[in-house]
Amino acid sequence: MKNMNILKSEDGLFEIALKINGENKKFKVKNNEFLLDALRRYGYKGAKKGCDSGDCGSCAIMFNGKPVLSCMMPAVTAHGGEIVTIEGIGTIEKPHAIQEAYVEAGAVQCGFCTPGMIIVTKHLLEKKPSPSDEDIKKELDGNLCRCTGYVSQIKAVRIAAKKMKKKGKK
Amino acid sequence: MFPDLIVKPLGLKELNKILPSLPKDRKFLSGGTDLVVRANADIENSQCWIDISGLKELRYIKENAKTVLIGSGVKVSDFEDSSIIKKHLPALLSALPQFASPSLRNMATLGGNCANASPSADLACALVSEKADIVLYLKGKKRKMPLKDFFLGLRKTALKKDELIWGFEIPKINHKGVYMKLASRSSFAISKIGLAISADINKEKVEYLSIALASVAPKIITAPKTRAFLKNKKINSEILDEAALIIQKEVSPITDIRSDGEYRRAMSGVLLKKGLKQILVKF
Repeated sequence: MKNMNILKSEDGLFEIALKINGENKKFKVKNNEFLLDALRRYGYKGAKKGCDSGDCGSCAIMFNGKPVLSCMMPAVTAHGGEIVTIEGIGTIEKPHAIQEAYVEAGAVQCGFCTPGMIIVTKHLLEKKPSPSDEDIKKELDGNLCRCTGYVSQIKAVRIAAKKMKKKGKK
Repeated sequence: MFPDLIVKPLGLKELNKILPSLPKDRKFLSGGTDLVVRANADIENSQCWIDISGLKELRYIKENAKTVLIGSGVKVSDFEDSSIIKKHLPALLSALPQFASPSLRNMATLGGNCANASPSADLACALVSEKADIVLYLKGKKRKMPLKDFFLGLRKTALKKDELIWGFEIPKINHKGVYMKLASRSSFAISKIGLAISADINKEKVEYLSIALASVAPKIITAPKTRAFLKNKKINSEILDEAALIIQKEVSPITDIRSDGEYRRAMSGVLLKKGLKQILVKF
């Protein structure tokens, strides 16, 4: 990626280069397309379109190592970035410890907010392996859930922290 | 509307090189958390955006003997882990967790918060109380001015065409600080009113004081009369009541979608009293 300037291509589309879940990808995106829409168009449907205005957190993805809201990011500006979506965290066959914890705690009901919640949980546990309830509440602030009332998510993060510590020891 | 052209220079050299070739109607894009929302709502209609999030030159938090230096491109979440901010800028530190949500703090920048020049900008308000200077950059030349003079009015700043916010220089003054915010919810809401206090209170005597307010005027304002009244006074409940009356005369709030003008005026006094008490008790 030598030439990093992105300029309008002839057919009105920008070609952007991204690293998604460890794979190098090239997307063709429109000027007014958001990263969330581009990701979903290219098959990464884990990130959800909730409010589409930066309020609900269900579109959260990791961008260059930190959770961001992909519904607020013009796809073009993601050029050259590294992205981790929920698909890159775990699969149905091999779920991540955080995903297992969310299931165990019953923190998933309709599941729409869950990918975003798991992304921010992962970021929190990377920073603080043993978070306090206050830390958890602060980090999940901005991720809305309309089903559960948040108690089970806090429990899920606590379980996930324990699971990840155990795994780390092994 | 979104521009047909978005460029992302990866360094200052590249930026200066491509700038002359771009359409005249152009804007800088930093974190995008304001500009993108405005484009989505068709309020923002520039022909070209220059995404400056790739400029590493603008991402620094440094200090020298007398000053803290912050680059305009630093993400708000990076401040939360900075020992320099923790040590020297208590009012800014207090404003951080009250600013948007964690994911938005990973996107938004201090430069963007100031360039947007919203009267409700939490971080800009805290920075004004910290007596920050803003450093602007145009064609290889830098100029500096007090941040409070940078804001000219509602979404109006002293920025010239193509001028970039380079960073901030904040004097190291021994003080405590708080940012008091009232909004519809305890977090993730735009302020009805924000009040930043930087103060050094020694044995209840106010030795140093700086006040800034958000959402009570067309721009971030200071409260010079209140400050002058409180300076060198011993804090007690009568003095606080009197100061609250003075600050209520210094603000000029309006009634809008978020709150009521008279409520905002009354709360400016309440937050001032609460904030000063917090500084007295907490530290």
